[in-house]
Amino acid sequence: MTYPVLSRAGEALTPAEQEELLRDRLGEGVLETLDANGTFTVTVAPDAWVATTRACKDEPLLAYDMFDCLFGVDRSEAGFDIVAILYSTSRGQRILLRVHCEGGRDKPVCPSLVDLYAGANWMERETWDMFGIEFEGHPGLTPRLLCAENFEGWPLRKDFYLASREAKPWPGVKEPAELDEQGNPIVKIPGPGEAVGPSILDEVMAEQAKIANPHAEVSGGPDATAPPEPAAPEPAAQTTPGPGPSEAADEPEAPDETPGVDFVTPEEREAKDADDAAIASARAELSRIQQAEAREQKAAEQAAAGSDTPTAGPAIPEGQTADLRDEGGLDERDGGDDAQAEAEGDDAGHDAEEDR
Amino acid sequence: MGDLDTREQVHPGTAPGEDLVLEIRGDGDFDTADMTLSIGPAHPATHGVLRVILEMDGEKIRDAHPVIGYMHRGFEKLAEARDFRQIMALTNRHDWLSGFSNELGVALAAERLMEFEVPDRAQWIRMLLAEWNRVLNHLMFVGSYAIELGAITPMFYAFREREDIQFLLESATGGRLHFTYNQVGGVKIDLPKGFMKESTDLSAMVRKRLQDYVDLVLGNEIFHARTKGIGPLPPEVALAYGVTGPTLQAAGVPEDSRVTEPYLKYGEIDVRVPTGTNGDSFDRFAVLLGRIEASLDLIDQIHDHMPAGPVNSKLPKIVKAPEGYTYIRTENPLGQLGYYLESDGGKNPWRLKMRTPSFSNVQVLPYLLRGALVPDAVAILGSVFFVVGDVDR
Repeated sequence: MTYPVLSRAGEALTPAEQEELLRDRLGEGVLETLDANGTFTVTVAPDAWVATTRACKDEPLLAYDMFDCLFGVDRSEAGFDIVAILYSTSRGQRILLRVHCEGGRDKPVCPSLVDLYAGANWMERETWDMFGIEFEGHPGLTPRLLCAENFEGWPLRKDFYLASREAKPWPGVKEPAELDEQGNPIVKIPGPGEAVGPSILDEVMAEQAKIANPHAEVSGGPDATAPPEPAAPEPAAQTTPGPGPSEAADEPEAPDETPGVDFVTPEEREAKDADDAAIASARAELSRIQQAEAREQKAAEQAAAGSDTPTAGPAIPEGQTADLRDEGGLDERDGGDDAQAEAEGDDAGHDAEEDR
Repeated sequence: MGDLDTREQVHPGTAPGEDLVLEIRGDGDFDTADMTLSIGPAHPATHGVLRVILEMDGEKIRDAHPVIGYMHRGFEKLAEARDFRQIMALTNRHDWLSGFSNELGVALAAERLMEFEVPDRAQWIRMLLAEWNRVLNHLMFVGSYAIELGAITPMFYAFREREDIQFLLESATGGRLHFTYNQVGGVKIDLPKGFMKESTDLSAMVRKRLQDYVDLVLGNEIFHARTKGIGPLPPEVALAYGVTGPTLQAAGVPEDSRVTEPYLKYGEIDVRVPTGTNGDSFDRFAVLLGRIEASLDLIDQIHDHMPAGPVNSKLPKIVKAPEGYTYIRTENPLGQLGYYLESDGGKNPWRLKMRTPSFSNVQVLPYLLRGALVPDAVAILGSVFFVVGDVDR
């Protein structure tokens, strides 16, 4: 085993020198460069994507021999960017190449780098899996690398909602601002029926699948002849090429008519979140009322069955109620009995406590 | 039997998405047939749920198809719904053997974007625990690689040390695997009283016991026979696939981001990078042991440098990163872990890409397995160090 000495300091080209070299080799292909946050970025035109990477690899002064990674970045309305990061082990320098995909959000396409670096294969497959970006010249993007084979939709796009976060608000304290004056978290304990069950999660996931594959929902209709492509949002999106935020804001509550069409801006997203929260709370309220009713009815039935006298609750004298409570018969007080229990006064309660 | 020449059928064990055509050739007396062999998804040699489909020609592997994604949890999507405090608890889970180093990278990326000055002591503490985490990780692989080759005893030795180190880390962080000790601006709390002495003693003890592994495994002639010349990886192939860490260093490339792109205070101490010559399984294992020793050297140096002072800095109530992006790379135990962090100025990252070392290491498996024999496949799988949670994220 050997311990070589690494002394490459001073061999690396400065970002300015690299930029000069690349501009000399590629001309107009280099759109802009940025050296910020310790990261040197070269943005290139889509036509020059492969040529730039080849120059980075073959140019002896650059000598980028290590393919670090490649991934996509969602740029909301503008479409998608592809970022590739290269590193040179011989010169100790790093470059971040960036290209804007052609085809907007509907059909993003990018040339493949597989011929230059073998490691680009899986990285591009993962990017296709996550963003639906096609790579021209790639030997085979299918099957999906990380997602399940029958998964629909492109998970890392911003218009793909995180199902669990849609269905259920964040548990516990989200922000330090939700602390009270003493610094203790303000705990919101969900009441009975308020906890979100799996049924709502199912609904949201069904919604998600509908957005990913709008043809599936009209399977019986006239559009059923269209093949159920996974990358399906195009036909609807082409009809509204530039969904301005104002236009989308006009009808924010109609996602069903144009499923998965427009990119949702953070404001709309927040509005939708608020809507969903309101719906969820309303639903919880409803179920709570229903449960309360059911419980009341049940209690009434029990009371009717338990006491031999055919009279209902209000006819039971105070002492008898206290007895029942001692036996645990009416331990579960619900909304209907609260007022009655208070009206009975403290005597019965005190008696019960003193008995214990 | 003349029609045998043209007989074709699709094998039921075809890799998904591929049409593997099974040819049956010969005159009928000596039919040879290619077959596929599926390793996993739960083979012990794969450190998680990885499936490798081998196309066999007799005992020889003609091609290999790793099938990944069984443990995909959508880390990058989840990170977009969390703020920078909450991401820390998310990052240390994908590679469960190097939790501390994982959360270190995302903390560094966020701090660089916010231009946050981290106190010196916090940086040295981070280095100290990161090196202990590295030793912890490598000991696991030292033990488990021997198990994959049929030797059970080294695992017990490895866990003897691992237990002590985990106890030490637990005393500081409260966690044995998932530390969640980093935060933006420093570390959670200061080291407990007496930690430095424990750490010094433990470093000396682990260094002394390191000889056990050399005697037990590295000097074992069965081990030599199983690993020498098996699965050689040329440096140019390794680099094209983005292979890093001990697997790359064994190929003779002294690439270690602690040296070439120093982060924290690694520029102030002397980091040794062990390298191999052939890039075969034996070299990879030897480099792993060398890295343990180098990490222990670093731990001793860090003990001498540890300054006094605060360990974290006061954060605003809502941590927001300014608009922009950065890419930072840290030397994880298994290789280089890169975080690309892009922020739109909000409290959640707009995009957090994690470039994991195991992903690249698994991608190079078909290259290594082609032409190998079946028993060597296990020797190769174990020596290209990866954790499947790190592959699938």
